Amino acid sequence: MSDEEHHFEAKGDAGASKTYPQQAGTIRKGGHIVIKARPCKVVEVSTSKTGKHGHAKCHFVAIDIFNGKKLEDIVPSSHNCDVPHVNRTDYQLIDIAEDGFVSLLTDSGQTKDDLKLPTDEALLKQMKDAFAEGKDLIVSVMSAMGEEQICGLKDLGNK
Amino acid sequence: MGEAMKEQQLLESIRSVVLKQSDNLEDKCTKIQGYDFNGGVNYHQLLKSLSTTGFQASNLGDAIDVVNEMLDWKLADECPTEDCSEKEKDPAYRESVKCKIFLGFTSNLVSSGIRDIIRYLVQHHMVDVVVTTAGGVEEDLIKCLAPTYRGDFSLPGADLRSKGLNRIGNLLVPNDNYCKFEDWIMNIFDEMMEEQNTKKFLWTPSKVISRLGKEINDESSYLYWAHKNNIPVYCPGLTDGSLGDMLYIHSIRKDPGLVVDVVQDIRSMNSEAVHVGQRKTGIIVLGGGMPKHHICNANMMRNGADYAVFINTAQEFDGSDSGARPDEAVSWGKIRGSAKTVKVHCDATIAFPLLVAETFASKASKPADNKL
Repeated sequence: MSDEEHHFEAKGDAGASKTYPQQAGTIRKGGHIVIKARPCKVVEVSTSKTGKHGHAKCHFVAIDIFNGKKLEDIVPSSHNCDVPHVNRTDYQLIDIAEDGFVSLLTDSGQTKDDLKLPTDEALLKQMKDAFAEGKDLIVSVMSAMGEEQICGLKDLGNK
Repeated sequence: MGEAMKEQQLLESIRSVVLKQSDNLEDKCTKIQGYDFNGGVNYHQLLKSLSTTGFQASNLGDAIDVVNEMLDWKLADECPTEDCSEKEKDPAYRESVKCKIFLGFTSNLVSSGIRDIIRYLVQHHMVDVVVTTAGGVEEDLIKCLAPTYRGDFSLPGADLRSKGLNRIGNLLVPNDNYCKFEDWIMNIFDEMMEEQNTKKFLWTPSKVISRLGKEINDESSYLYWAHKNNIPVYCPGLTDGSLGDMLYIHSIRKDPGLVVDVVQDIRSMNSEAVHVGQRKTGIIVLGGGMPKHHICNANMMRNGADYAVFINTAQEFDGSDSGARPDEAVSWGKIRGSAKTVKVHCDATIAFPLLVAETFASKASKPADNKL
């Protein structure tokens, strides 16, 4: 196993609490759920009572919070589902590198360089344009289940 | 004088109309004669008397005769054709070639005690091909996990729903039974999907059913015996029942799920009729709907079955296939014009046990046992 020189966060305790269990019957529209190991936001919940199809069930339709794909799942109401911990953290934007990585300033004054530009075209354009104009920018980073992505932008005006 | 003549003539004409000379039926028709209980309660004689009792009893009596013909027929009864091979001329071979029997039934009959009669026939390989609906498959499996109970036609629906009880006529199946079915089947579907993906195995309804028969591993199940005796069970409408619900749920959870090929099964089903060679074919169908048509249609591929017995309560006045008499099937080539056919207008829960008693079961048991 090769040792890589790598700037990485201590993910030891984060690994243990990436998700938490919640009874399927209590998850509502707008909440979060893990489907096929992806963190998702629930857009539709329908329930069917116990019947010919077996146990009472919750039918979830959800959107992957990172890639926007629609996923479905059916879970017995009494079973537990995994719900992802979803966090939003704000960082100051320092630089946009040529290879698409961004350089961010953390609260503690350290730099965070492991994030790429967002794939969402509108947000990407907004970021690039604002940065080119020399504006002070705060990016919101959404993180869940070990994955991170820039999901929002705040403009503080010119430097 | 004239008045008396006219009156006489009037009386004569009335007499000739009311007491019209009848044809003599003595040697042409069977006399109607019911069973005489003065002879004691002899069930075999009682059932034999059906033929001469009239109405549907007579039809049932005829059905018993037709089924017995199906069971008795062998190729040795026919003259060898000009183009038959040496093997086909061999008397011993001709003795061994029997009629191929297609048995079809609807799912309500599997919910009823008829399931156990069907199990007997399949257990002893007395039928060659079985066709049924999705319920006809799952109700048999579920009975191995939990029982079906007797209820009443008049039980109010909303009340039953609140108690988690599903009504099938005057039978009741608790929701819990279906929960047990779900718990049982999901792991099997996972295994089947694994085989589909890793061994490139393509499932068909009949293969799925055979696998479920193997997995239930219970001698009270007809599907268990069908698997054991290699009797195919066809069900093109496999998704139209609790099985379909389970497949639906499984396909969402384990997207994209199982693939079930109906085309391969229609090949197999029609081949059952087409490749019979010198064998005759017989149809026994309980109820109407898909099983009735599917069997008749397959037989059309060989220009029609040689024997057909329909037991159902459907009527033909609405043009439905369920209510159609065997003669309608003759017009399609699904049954031969020369075939021996009977329709018994009766609920199969009454007619079928009696029919099996006088045909399959009585031929199977020793002569001494018949004297019940």
